[in-house]
Amino acid sequence: MTHETLWLISAIILTGMAMGWMALSKPTHWKQVEKNAPAVTRLRVAGWIALLLSAICSLKADHASMAVLVWLMLISAASISTGMVLSMKPSWLRILTFCWLSPAIFTKR
Amino acid sequence: MKFTNTRQAMAWLHTWLGLILGFVLMVCFFFGALSVFDREIDRWAIPETRFDPQPMPSFDNLLINVFERSEPDVDEYNLMMPQFHNPAAGEMTPRTELPADEYWAYTTHRDPVLLMGIGFRVPHPLKPDEHNHIHGSMTIDPRSGDNIPSSSLKIGSDWFYPLHYSLNLNWNYIGFFIVGIAAFFMLVALVSGVWIHRRIFREFFTFRKEKSIRRATLDLHNMSGVVALPFHFFFALTGLIIFAGFYYLPVTNTMLKPLHNMHEAIESEATGLPHERSGINASLASVDAMVGEAKSRWAARDMAGEVGFLMVHHVGDKNSYVSIYRAGSDRVSLVGEGIHFKGTTGEVLREDPPHSTAEGIAEFLTGLHLQHFEHWFLRWLYVLGGLLGCVCIATGFIFFTEKRKQQHAKNNSQGSRIVDAFAVTTVTGIVVAAVTMLAANRILPGDLANKGDWEKWIFCIALALSFIHATIRSAPVARGEKNPAWLEQCLLLVLLPVIAVIANWLTTGDHLLKTMFTDPYWAVAGVDLSLLALAVICWRVAQRLRMNSPSALVAKSDIAYDS
Repeated sequence: MTHETLWLISAIILTGMAMGWMALSKPTHWKQVEKNAPAVTRLRVAGWIALLLSAICSLKADHASMAVLVWLMLISAASISTGMVLSMKPSWLRILTFCWLSPAIFTKR
Repeated sequence: MKFTNTRQAMAWLHTWLGLILGFVLMVCFFFGALSVFDREIDRWAIPETRFDPQPMPSFDNLLINVFERSEPDVDEYNLMMPQFHNPAAGEMTPRTELPADEYWAYTTHRDPVLLMGIGFRVPHPLKPDEHNHIHGSMTIDPRSGDNIPSSSLKIGSDWFYPLHYSLNLNWNYIGFFIVGIAAFFMLVALVSGVWIHRRIFREFFTFRKEKSIRRATLDLHNMSGVVALPFHFFFALTGLIIFAGFYYLPVTNTMLKPLHNMHEAIESEATGLPHERSGINASLASVDAMVGEAKSRWAARDMAGEVGFLMVHHVGDKNSYVSIYRAGSDRVSLVGEGIHFKGTTGEVLREDPPHSTAEGIAEFLTGLHLQHFEHWFLRWLYVLGGLLGCVCIATGFIFFTEKRKQQHAKNNSQGSRIVDAFAVTTVTGIVVAAVTMLAANRILPGDLANKGDWEKWIFCIALALSFIHATIRSAPVARGEKNPAWLEQCLLLVLLPVIAVIANWLTTGDHLLKTMFTDPYWAVAGVDLSLLALAVICWRVAQRLRMNSPSALVAKSDIAYDS
């Protein structure tokens, strides 16, 4: 497997995680996955960082002009996938609710 | 019409523009998505071209022989020659005796075959200042130079691809203009759609499939429109940009034609590339040597690559020159880095200079849409974007009828019924037509005269039958119920793709085990797998539609009543 492929796979995974966290930062969607309240800010920050990292991975994988297109289209693909997961199997997104994103640690209920 | 606020006006605009032009946009998006893999569909449709992509073959040893044996197109000669020829200057030159004026050859990283063309000049032109060319084109096997029979239709690149930008309606470019208008108003529909969307960020990921059909449809419409908004916007915009100069604003061929001609002559002087023939016969130097020089110059600029496009201007004349362009498979922009050689000696006349920022942006936008780049993953993402566009438009149609059909039923109006029949035709009907065409391609005998024309007719007839079926079966919509044509055409789409895949296997021996594992050929395997995926999706959709059909609901209520 070439370095470019590995960077591209990283970009795909990171974009998926980014959109997952962005979705979970909406209280309506968080409730589909967990019973407590979401740590909105942390989830959003995690989402934006993952999105930024996915952009860097895309740039490492391809020529800049191509990377921009790959990244934008990846965001679309990840968004629709996240929407469909939330609609059909929301529990799958529990994988993204790591302990450091858990509101139990940062928020009082 | 009076609106109490801007949002209401935007909603009206979005609804009616989307409805009227959505039928056209559906064709653009669906066949645009298929066009991403047009060359692969060509391979599927023409089994004798199922071999690996080839680089540009030797001009001196192979291409020149093909050019020299080629003739002008019969139909174009009969149509155009009487218009170009000046009877006062002499006899009309017979078709096969027209002299060649320009040669070109074109290939991409996905093409096993090579597309070639010739512009033949008219010896006694009525308007000598014009480009009086009668054309001839051919597709060859670059390994042998043999012609691919012209009766073999490249279904991907010569039918599906032009369908998405011209609807294959070529009379007075009417199809180009219809698509142009649709693309322009799609931009308007996108802006108005964003304007009327109340919770664009809050409901970014929301699809409540368990809610009412209206709610679920609107959710899916919003989601597919918003998540791929950049794709929808840029593809409509770049589609317009690509054709703006040729068709939509053709000032260089109308009002500004004298200025355009003058600019062409002055540019020719500035670049040193002869604008006219000298009238002195001369032979062509080795083009292969020029190709070698071009490649070494590209490599020196750290952009080594293969030749994508090659053109010889003023064939057989002292002023002849050869333009060689690089295949732009490693970047988005369609640049080419053209290098031009003197035809008689092979000396370099000119290297195209780096482009200005404005030209660079135009080339990026054009390249973004035409996707000559070699990036299979991005190609699939483009397919996804195109299909999301289809989902957005289709759910728009469904929402329109679901919102109104009960009211229309009460008022005895046929509005929803008509819209629904058109929606069935442009959602399932175009898919039925496309798959029927592919199945027919494999079932019709390979040696059938004008086979390609038969395939085109079968596509049109299948689409017409789909519309007739949708219309005949749409009576329940006028009563506020579902059109059973949705279910029936979905079931047809379970059957047809399977027939196409089996027919491909039986007529070529290329089954999936072979094309995926024992003798991999992913162009054909990809088309077969996509067809099977279509069949599975349509089966699932048909199951859902059957569950919600009136008879199923009656059965369910009977069970509930009995229990």
